[in-house]
Amino acid sequence: MSMRNEDLIRQLAADLRPVKPARNPIAATTAWLAFVAVVIALAVLVFGLREDLAARLAGGFDLLQIAGALATGLLAAVAAFQLALPERSGRWALLPIPAAVAWLATMGGGCLEELARLGPEALRIGLSLPCLAFIAGLGVPLTVAMLWLARHAAWLRAGPVAALGGLSAAALASVGLSFVHDMDAAFMVLVWHGMSVLIVAGLASLFGPRLMRCGLAAP
Amino acid sequence: MSDGRAATCFEAPRPLTAPDTILGEGRDARDLRWSRMMAAAQAGDARAYEALLRECLPLLRTICRARLRDATDAEDAVQDTLLTIHRARDSYNPTRPFRPWLVAIAERRALDRIRARSRRARREMPEDAAGEIASDAPGVETELDAHRAAAKLRRAIEALPMSQRTALGLTKMQDLSLAEASRVSGMTAGALKVATHRALHALRRRFGPEE
Repeated sequence: MSMRNEDLIRQLAADLRPVKPARNPIAATTAWLAFVAVVIALAVLVFGLREDLAARLAGGFDLLQIAGALATGLLAAVAAFQLALPERSGRWALLPIPAAVAWLATMGGGCLEELARLGPEALRIGLSLPCLAFIAGLGVPLTVAMLWLARHAAWLRAGPVAALGGLSAAALASVGLSFVHDMDAAFMVLVWHGMSVLIVAGLASLFGPRLMRCGLAAP
Repeated sequence: MSDGRAATCFEAPRPLTAPDTILGEGRDARDLRWSRMMAAAQAGDARAYEALLRECLPLLRTICRARLRDATDAEDAVQDTLLTIHRARDSYNPTRPFRPWLVAIAERRALDRIRARSRRARREMPEDAAGEIASDAPGVETELDAHRAAAKLRRAIEALPMSQRTALGLTKMQDLSLAEASRVSGMTAGALKVATHRALHALRRRFGPEE
């Protein structure tokens, strides 16, 4: 053993402090979903359920849209917690892609259906800052919670884990938004939900790794 | 051209057999023992941790040497791996086998080295070529002087504090980006900049501007 390695190992052992081992990905996903459910329930308590929720869910589009967002959020979380363990295959990152594509296709299909029914009027886009504010306002703190749960990925694969964590947080925040906010037009849902999810996931991949290393990871 | 040089740094991974048969212990028994030692290290047992790192060293060397032809690069990758094991020790789940966790970290750090080396090669290639054209082959005396100066510099670097040595080594000698150096060392980008600046300042003071 060279002196450099000998020195280094001695110093690392001297620097040792107890750490909490990483959870099993399924246990971590369960904890994450329980936390998100509590946060969304609180948001519903504060903002109130949308009045036409039952009718909208019976209509088809909203149910499929919510199911797509839920599946994306769930699978992105599983993928993030799997990738956070160094020995797991990088291909776990592909897990949420089918659900995300299906979610996007549902929103796109809704747009086409409304376009056929209403004409160009269906593509009129209004400003929906509350929608953006809700998903970002809920998605960013949820992302921070997710980064904390997956903090052991700080030194390996931090970028992909943070991006998937942000995607999960934003997709689940979008589910929460569907319970409280009236948004009838599929195109508006596509633009505002889609944009908000992209912004949160982008911010997570940009700042998440630094946040995990500086503030969240145990030395 | 640079791609060609980078390609010489990479070899197809060889089967990792040598360190698997230490003192006749089976791989399963050894993995179980390592797993227990790592669980003890996670609970704060420094002796178990030091023993574990020493035992793992031959395997880490085998992995890094299988991927990096240059012995210095391989040794640097081993050190990066040790630092990452330390930083990411909470990412090991004791209910799972230890060896795949260890191997994944070593392979990632070896790959980082290959990338850093090919980047360095791309940058240095034009200067080397220009130098060869402009000057004659160095005489024995010049070469001896260069060796003496290098040894003096190496001793001065070894005398620097650990944080400065790490920062200088990663950012200047191994040519890692600040983000990569931060990931490997666990120091923030700001701390790396300060430590590198202090290290360079100390070396300048030691050798003077003419050197």
